[in-house]
Amino acid sequence: MNFDDAIRLTEILLGFAFAQQSIEHFKSFTNERRLFIPRFILAVLLVIGFQTAWVAVLLLLLGLTLLYRFQGPYNGGADRMSLLILFCLCLVYFSPTQRWQEIAFGYLALQLVFSYFFSGWVKIVNPEWRNGRALCDVFQFSVYPASESLRQWSKSPRILFVMAWGVMMFELVFPLLLLSHISLIVALIIAASFHFANACLFGLNRFFWIWIAAYPSILWFQLRFISTV
Amino acid sequence: MIIFRILRLLLPAVIPSWRFFDVIAPSPRIQFTLLQSKDESSCESREWHEFRPRPVRLSFLQMLGRMLWNPERNESLFLVSCAERILQQPTEHSENEILKRIAAELRADNFNSTTTATYLQFRLLLVQRKNAQLCQEVVFRSRIQPLPMQDTM
Repeated sequence: MNFDDAIRLTEILLGFAFAQQSIEHFKSFTNERRLFIPRFILAVLLVIGFQTAWVAVLLLLLGLTLLYRFQGPYNGGADRMSLLILFCLCLVYFSPTQRWQEIAFGYLALQLVFSYFFSGWVKIVNPEWRNGRALCDVFQFSVYPASESLRQWSKSPRILFVMAWGVMMFELVFPLLLLSHISLIVALIIAASFHFANACLFGLNRFFWIWIAAYPSILWFQLRFISTV
Repeated sequence: MIIFRILRLLLPAVIPSWRFFDVIAPSPRIQFTLLQSKDESSCESREWHEFRPRPVRLSFLQMLGRMLWNPERNESLFLVSCAERILQQPTEHSENEILKRIAAELRADNFNSTTTATYLQFRLLLVQRKNAQLCQEVVFRSRIQPLPMQDTM
């Protein structure tokens, strides 16, 4: 995947993710609709590729307005990743040279790697994650399970122990999977499946769409910097 | 001042820490009550309702549908963030967000005692595991909000 294709694919996936998020606010309060209807229109413009640089700047400004409106992210990590992708795209559009453009887009790719690796690291240093108790707690009393029946999963500690170690190991070895393009593609399919499972079990649908929007950056990064070494 | 505040909010997005689920912290629940008068708030026997209880079961098809259309769940997660912010450092913004969304939902669902109630209050329950036991305690009570509530805040 070359640089221009990766940027274009990022724009399309980001636009789709923003459109999906924005539609969810169409039935909300008047003052929220005033922010999310323009965001939806800008997202569609990003998807079709109309004046993408200026559209991204407007989306970034709107993103900052939303941060102020909700006094922080509306949807935690998903909103943070949204702003990070937009921020990097804006840097790419307005960087003076190809080298700086690649640094900006490469930063997004590195942050994507960090998003998996550090999530794995903070878990494995916690004894409650290592013994499987933390994942039992997630299902037993946290706010995350999307339905009451999912709380029953906390009664299967052995399965959750295996799942916890599976997640931690995958997150920790993710950087190593950049060593070949094939292993990276497999890793991204597993990672997307993990986000899909989180969306189904915990209702975190926005994470799924927005993390996928960052995948073109890592596919380009791997071909540009790692497979050539 | 506003610019400084926005930059402070933007910084964690540009330089994220990515600490998802590092610790399973005590979990807040939002409960509300409807009152006929402000004096009623001191009555201990009031009925508290869980705000937007999660469904008993979701089919795989419903889960798939929620991949594209999940506004209630995402709003509930935002309200959890507001509850957590209140527990860390109470702000009028977070309290208002919770009150107005409860009021809006009651109005939309035509909740059975909404028609006669003139005041709304919510409380936060903190659920946590202590050894093998789950315990919960009330950690916050909101102001008593007259109804109907403006939805243009």
